[in-house]
Amino acid sequence: MRIRILGNLVILGATVVLSYGMQVSKPHYADLTAPIPADGAMHDTIRARSFDVRLDKVVFARALKTNQFGRQKLLTTSGLWAVVTTSLTATAASTTVADGTWQGPTGLRYHQTERLGYRQDMPPHGVDPGLEKRGLLVFEIPPDQIRGASLLIAARQFGPLDAQARISLDGLPTSADGQPADVLPEYDLDAPPPQGKS
Amino acid sequence: MFRTARSKVQTWITAGAGTIAALFVAGLMGAFGALPAHAPPQLPLDTAIDAGRWRVQPVRAYVSHAKVYGVLMKPGQKALVLEADMTNRTAQSDKAYFDVFKPDGLALPDPMPMIALTRDETLTPELHPGMTERMAYVWPLAGDAIVPASLSFGVTAEIFKPRDNLYGMPGWFNPYRLGTITLPVADVPATGS
Amino acid sequence: MSAVSTAPGPIASEDRQAEQKWRRRSLVALAILLPLTLAETSYDSLREWLHGEDLIARDVDFGQSVPFGGSDWKLADLRGGKAGRLPDHAFAVIATFSVKIGDPDLQKQWLGCKLMLTDAAGRRWLPDVIAGVSLPAGVMNCTSAIFSGVKKGDTVTIGDIFIVPEDAVKTIRPAVGLSSERPWFLRFQRPPK
Repeated sequence: MRIRILGNLVILGATVVLSYGMQVSKPHYADLTAPIPADGAMHDTIRARSFDVRLDKVVFARALKTNQFGRQKLLTTSGLWAVVTTSLTATAASTTVADGTWQGPTGLRYHQTERLGYRQDMPPHGVDPGLEKRGLLVFEIPPDQIRGASLLIAARQFGPLDAQARISLDGLPTSADGQPADVLPEYDLDAPPPQGKS
Repeated sequence: MFRTARSKVQTWITAGAGTIAALFVAGLMGAFGALPAHAPPQLPLDTAIDAGRWRVQPVRAYVSHAKVYGVLMKPGQKALVLEADMTNRTAQSDKAYFDVFKPDGLALPDPMPMIALTRDETLTPELHPGMTERMAYVWPLAGDAIVPASLSFGVTAEIFKPRDNLYGMPGWFNPYRLGTITLPVADVPATGS
Repeated sequence: MSAVSTAPGPIASEDRQAEQKWRRRSLVALAILLPLTLAETSYDSLREWLHGEDLIARDVDFGQSVPFGGSDWKLADLRGGKAGRLPDHAFAVIATFSVKIGDPDLQKQWLGCKLMLTDAAGRRWLPDVIAGVSLPAGVMNCTSAIFSGVKKGDTVTIGDIFIVPEDAVKTIRPAVGLSSERPWFLRFQRPPK
């Protein structure tokens, strides 16, 4: 009888140790269900599950000019505006690409701005197979979050186990102190595309 | 016969032990809860306050009788406005700042304030990590409501858990009253800003 | 307990045998019940997923009329060309269906109505808006048909506008999906040239 009790205790102890070990060593639920990254660099075409994306251009500006409800507005920020131009194509079926995040060098996540209200050329971008489309993403970021940053683009904001394009922004020209080489005083969102360098 | 009776007693004791322990802990917690709580401290106005996800620095409070930062008022209403510099202390863009401030001792028709970015009157935009922005909290009030010349606001903060108990996700939980700020409240007539 | 049960009588050993039998039965039951529980809990999600996806094509010859979602569907016309403001290497395509209404409760039968174009490679296009191109007179899209108040026996023309790349336009075929019929959808043969 005594041996039996002892045996049970050993089994119980082993279970506790095993469970604790698994809890400590195994990936967490959040990591298991996280989006699946598809890595790439600027000007590469990156295949995410439901769409292809290519980052064409990043322009920094101190202010954004936009038309809201027929009213000219000049939007300022405590940091910088980053206007990102991408080319988007759907892979298999017409879909939407709605989520953009600027991830700083230390992992801070700057979600696309909500200050522009509804605009046709802002997310969600409707994309079709075989038809390349220019899609803008606009972020508000502090200037120290540019060097070593990457851009995360996904079909929707909370997409567990869905693909997420992760584009390294190392190709952006910055000066020695990490400031972008070229900052426009003002970017007009309603002007035709070619504005600013690279 | 003797054996079954004895094992029955054992069973009862074993089953009862948990219940007794639970009752004891509950009683203890109740006793602690009944102790006089520490009053939340008065917070300084001249330095920024770390309140959970937000670093806040109250700027000014006033009563407005006209449209303020694009927030329209129903006829016969006025609005209590609190302007504060807010900084996101977390690692991602967030807009969970609705419950940070709450005026004490005022009857509010709607406890949920309208919150506008003072820069360009955008309503409740996400604020980004480390980027300080001035936000205006606007609470509509009945036109005949009496607002004292010096008003206190409760400041609510949350605690960070690197892993919640259900999904193991990081998050902010358990809001608690961090303290109180007291500001003079100016009265801005309709012709003013 | 061990002190009392030093001399196990015939009753005790019989007890043990019965207990072992039940233990074995429980193990077997577990092997059956666990998969059953899994199936039961995932059934709803699986059904919901199937009702949201156009997975299995039912091919329809040109000129043929097929009952689908309580009405009879027939491809009326498929035409493409350069019109309005289009991206480079793209065509505008208008697909129209002639539908004889059987069950007029379209809000139930036509829920999630989706007109599509598919090509030989299995790619799918959903309706788009092209500046300068509108549907021919008397043609409704799915959403407006649902709220048009049609009666049983009416014949309506349903259609929509698509943008299709040049390389797909030769093999595109129109298709229709309805929530009430999913995972099946109709795929129509192109009209003969």
